[in-house]
Amino acid sequence: MAMIKAEKTPERSAPISESSVIGWLHKHLFSSAFNTLLTFVMLYIIYLTVSGVFSWGVLDATFVADNRRECYDNSLTGACWAGVIHWTNNIFYGRYPREEIWRINFGGLLLVLWMAPLWMSRVKGKVLVATTTVVFYPFLASYLFSGGDKGFFMQIMVAGAMTAFALNMANLLAGLFRSQGLNSFLIKALGQENASDKTQRNILLLLAGIVFGVAFFWQMGQTLQPIVWTKWGGLFLTLVISGVGIASALPGGIILALGRRSKLVIVRVLSIGFIEVFRSVPLITVLFMATTMFPLFMPEGFVLNKLVQVIIAVVLFNACYMAETVRAGLQAIPKGQYEGAHTIGLGYWRTMRLVIMPQALKYMIPNIVGSFIGLLKDTTLVSIIGLFDILGMLRSISKDTPWLGLHKEPLIFGAILFFIMCASMSKYSRHLEVKLSAGRTH
Amino acid sequence: MSNNPPKSQLASAASSEVMIAIKQMNKWYGQFHVLKDINLTVHKGERIVICGPSGSGKSTMIRCINALEEHQEGEIIVDGILLGKNLKNLDHIRTEVGMVFQNFNLFPHMTILENLTLGPIWVRKMNRVDAIDTAMTYLERVKIPEQAKKYPGQLSGGEQQRVAIARSLCMNPKIMLFDEPTSALDPEMIKEVLDVMVELANTGMTMVVVTHEMGFAKTVADQVIFMDEGDIVEQNEPTVFFDNPQHERTKLFLSQIL
Ligand SMILES: Nc1ncnc2c1ncn2[C@@H]1O[C@H](COP(=O)(O)OP(=O)(O)OP(=O)(O)O)[C@@H](O)[C@H]1O
Ligand SMILES: [Mg+2]
Repeated sequence: MAMIKAEKTPERSAPISESSVIGWLHKHLFSSAFNTLLTFVMLYIIYLTVSGVFSWGVLDATFVADNRRECYDNSLTGACWAGVIHWTNNIFYGRYPREEIWRINFGGLLLVLWMAPLWMSRVKGKVLVATTTVVFYPFLASYLFSGGDKGFFMQIMVAGAMTAFALNMANLLAGLFRSQGLNSFLIKALGQENASDKTQRNILLLLAGIVFGVAFFWQMGQTLQPIVWTKWGGLFLTLVISGVGIASALPGGIILALGRRSKLVIVRVLSIGFIEVFRSVPLITVLFMATTMFPLFMPEGFVLNKLVQVIIAVVLFNACYMAETVRAGLQAIPKGQYEGAHTIGLGYWRTMRLVIMPQALKYMIPNIVGSFIGLLKDTTLVSIIGLFDILGMLRSISKDTPWLGLHKEPLIFGAILFFIMCASMSKYSRHLEVKLSAGRTH
Repeated sequence: MSNNPPKSQLASAASSEVMIAIKQMNKWYGQFHVLKDINLTVHKGERIVICGPSGSGKSTMIRCINALEEHQEGEIIVDGILLGKNLKNLDHIRTEVGMVFQNFNLFPHMTILENLTLGPIWVRKMNRVDAIDTAMTYLERVKIPEQAKKYPGQLSGGEQQRVAIARSLCMNPKIMLFDEPTSALDPEMIKEVLDVMVELANTGMTMVVVTHEMGFAKTVADQVIFMDEGDIVEQNEPTVFFDNPQHERTKLFLSQIL
């Protein structure tokens, strides 16, 4: 049967169930008698929980008191936040001398500023920024935090870090106000646009050298008061351990994963053995082994402090987990990509760096961030082997005489802190995923 | 194909200089004997078309020529260099021999321009400006300069394949290998890719092409090779090959595809 439609069908608005609030409520909450019942039961349970928590944690809670007795005098049914508030500095900084706490805050601020360009689309040279962060920042930070006399190497690295930071900030400004890289901005400002590549590079190197020289002489006169690592603690210590872990687990994981896929039998077997051993042992065991057995393998008289041992253990453990994440990502890349790279003559390392890894990382991001979150939470285990990280600090509140027996509130406070940190990490990972996959359909 | 009358044979650019020499080459996958006693000589500027049923070893053979696959017996000499375990030789061969695949193998995370400049910048150590210049020249040759800023996923199959050809040409190779470059394309895109290949043949490039496009073979090829079950069964000039095939298996195959 033939038919012809003479006119266009006019558009109509969607039925009420698709557009109005009532339609939505009906569809999602009250679509049948049973669902309606379920909705009301759930609402009631939610009401009970929220109102209970709210009156305990806010309405009946005590925020100002000198000891637990006073809390009870004020209200028997409410939380005693006063203890947590009293201990705030300990929770965040451990037993770090109070008058030196600025060093920790300053170190954190430096890191934020240093990495800020990575989030700004107008700023150029992101790879360089990221590299200098990994190479220089740790030295600057470790000197800031521990102080004392600098060896010659440390002096070089600290001056290098200051140079890198200064150039980074200048580059940031050039990017924000001129939308260009620092190098092209300087070349233009000096009127050297037409000079050869080599002269331009030499000029830039000379400028960087001058900054380095100034930084070097300035830092020679500066010495910070030494602070032993045993005074480090609280959230600060947690972030140091997990920060080092996060920064080195990914490179370590990539190397192990490549080793596991290597054609060289020895490399492959070693990588597999390493990965499987660490993956089949709980972290707490690795931590105990690191602090008790590691010294046995070291040459006589060679003493590593416990913190370094713990950090090494955390790094190795997480590199092994990361290796499996990376391997899964690599397996998602079709063989044709290797062959394509091969036919334009890229060798193994360049193929990995330019073609394979950038694609694989995109697939890996959710899992990588998942591991990072796990790492952050797992570092609380170090409180078991006697480091006073944030969990250790929270738990020692209940042993402090005025606050004897105060368990609940500190732990709840810790839980909220961890929730904020972990939730923002996973939110950021979702943002990254969307950003990286935009405009690139396969 | 406007500048050369259809179906007429392109003038051969073949010289006496040998570009590829394969002697008594054998290859196994495990116990499976894929290539048996292969002998083949390709001169400079010569255009070879290889055809044959699925699984006959066509891909395997041309992949051996740029060392994507290892062979176990016999010799392969490309541009005077013996393929073997010597990694330096391999690196050299890879930059001399370009290859185009059935499914393009472009890098999806880079723009077309980045795809084209990757090799020149990192392998040929060209500076960025020159590399972009070269890339644009070749994009114009394959007639899609306006797509330079796009990602491969945003192009049609035919355009992607032309980009893949341009990517290989940017490395300025001496030999181009094609493995069924049009098999993954819709019919209306096949012609645009074949046109580019015919033009390339016009420039005197040495080409080894696995394809079932017999029209292309008739216009462009100096020699047509028929492979079956790992053997080179028949090799001849296109006129003889198509009008007067000698071997039973060739006759059967041609009757199936023509
Ligand atoms: N990596 C491999 N391992 C084992 N066998 C393989 C491998 N690659 C190919 N083969 C086998 O070798 C034979 C030849 O394969 P090849 O891909 O060269 O055939 P072809 O002539 O290109 O076929 P097609 O027209 O389908 O592309 C086939 O039987 C195939 O199954
Ligand atoms: Mg094939």
